[in-house]
Amino acid sequence: MSDFQSFDQLLTYCQERQNSIWQAALTQEVEDSGRTEEAILNGIHQLVAQMRATIESGIASDDPSMSGLSGGDAKRMMAFLQDSNCVLSPLNIRMMAYGLATLEENSRMRKIVACPTAGGSGSVPAVLIALEDEQKVSREKTVSGLITAGCIGEIVSKRMHLSGAAAGCQAEVGVASGMAAGAMVEMLGGSPQQVLHAAAISMQNLMGLVCDPVAGLVEVPCVVRNGLSGVQAAAAATMALAGVKSFIPIDEVVDAMAEIGKLMPRQLKESADGGLAQTPTARAFTNRFFQMSNKASNLY
Amino acid sequence: MSGLFDIVGPVMVGPSSSHTAGAVRLAILARNIAQKPIQSVRFDLYNSFAKTYKGHGTDRGLLAGMMGFSVQDDRIRDAYSWAEKLHLEYEMLPIESSNHFSPNTVVFKMILEDGENLTVVGHSIGGGKVYVSKINDYNVSLKGEFPTLLLFYKDQPGMIWQASKVIAEKSINIASLTCTRRKRGIEAFMSIALDAPLPSGFLESFREAFRQIPDVYSVRAIDQLPL
Ligand code: SF4
Repeated sequence: MSDFQSFDQLLTYCQERQNSIWQAALTQEVEDSGRTEEAILNGIHQLVAQMRATIESGIASDDPSMSGLSGGDAKRMMAFLQDSNCVLSPLNIRMMAYGLATLEENSRMRKIVACPTAGGSGSVPAVLIALEDEQKVSREKTVSGLITAGCIGEIVSKRMHLSGAAAGCQAEVGVASGMAAGAMVEMLGGSPQQVLHAAAISMQNLMGLVCDPVAGLVEVPCVVRNGLSGVQAAAAATMALAGVKSFIPIDEVVDAMAEIGKLMPRQLKESADGGLAQTPTARAFTNRFFQMSNKASNLY
Repeated sequence: MSGLFDIVGPVMVGPSSSHTAGAVRLAILARNIAQKPIQSVRFDLYNSFAKTYKGHGTDRGLLAGMMGFSVQDDRIRDAYSWAEKLHLEYEMLPIESSNHFSPNTVVFKMILEDGENLTVVGHSIGGGKVYVSKINDYNVSLKGEFPTLLLFYKDQPGMIWQASKVIAEKSINIASLTCTRRKRGIEAFMSIALDAPLPSGFLESFREAFRQIPDVYSVRAIDQLPL
């Protein structure tokens, strides 16, 4: 665990040493883990490679998820790139496709990189890998982005539990979008302050997001949320790069999020007892699903 | 497990870090605590684990971990058929809700090869992070972050000194040490977390060294969890 208990401490450290956030995080990681810088960078490279591998198999696959509730949307988004009605930029389309792809692979019980969790694992790879593919950002930059994302997530995790069950989806997809926004600013050469503003802006927009997965599966709404959160992170990063600031400092944003998580009723924290999970359509599916899975408990 | 890779990572089989990967890791931890082949296991599932264990692959994760599969092992998907192949006897018991326990709690009720009963209470707290709060009647706090030694011994003066001497002789640093007494003069319990990484075979040699200390009833050497 790094010594940074708050973003304020992190920023002071960066300013005193003229470090970027990823450099500060890397130094801390060396000190705390006892591993060499090279070994750590190697590990990060491997994670980026896995993120790309997950995305590549995800955008190529038509396979449904284990429950049949999702699958194939990533491929659909990639095909839409060629459509005359596609008015968003290819970078944005890829971010959507890659976020969807990662979560679809997750629902197929295939390999993903938890970031910070499996349910929130789409945002960061979506931004990182789309920037590589569309902006030709170097792998070194991507690695610095992922370290930045990790550092942001780590500090947030010291102030709240990162799970839908503990604090709702704001703690998963919400935090992931903050991590991704910070990563993008870093990769495009923004300052440490801009990195943190981007993260704060992005998290504010997903604050209060509840966790209401249909049938308790990490699919609806998780897959589409991950398809959108990368784009939202990119938008927040762009605001920060343009000079937009978060009026509330990021530490206070996180504390507010933690408080909201505590105030959130149990029904909206992953129990599938509220929100989208209790709509008529969701209930009908849930009944079918449990009948099916009880009949063949090893099928699902 | 270090900070950065705790947040970015692990590489894992989906769909849920707390319900799938967390379940795998808890079961590995329970298995490491048992240290003997497990004859049968009952998984008592609480709260969110009880409600959503099928959809989130908690069931498969627990079985996989019990068989020693890692969080990124593709066999997790087919854990049921692997359990059959490897003759793992198990029962899954969803127990709706308990305010007692954190959202994702599983109680492992194991019967070991030699007939010993072992109960381990585990919690998954998000992002694949886990901790064990109870082993049989003892309250512990075991996160699998460090190689850990658990010592059960006769409550008497000088035990901490003797134990730390053994560790110091091997020039290993102690990350933390806690003692709990169950009954004055009768039974106490010490948990010693060591700095990782340890050279392989070290935990075993510690176990032997501790067994030499008079009035140590039993020793468990528990490996740290893989990333
Ligand atoms: S809705 Fe719940 S299960 Fe789905 S991604 Fe969000 S926190 Fe995870």
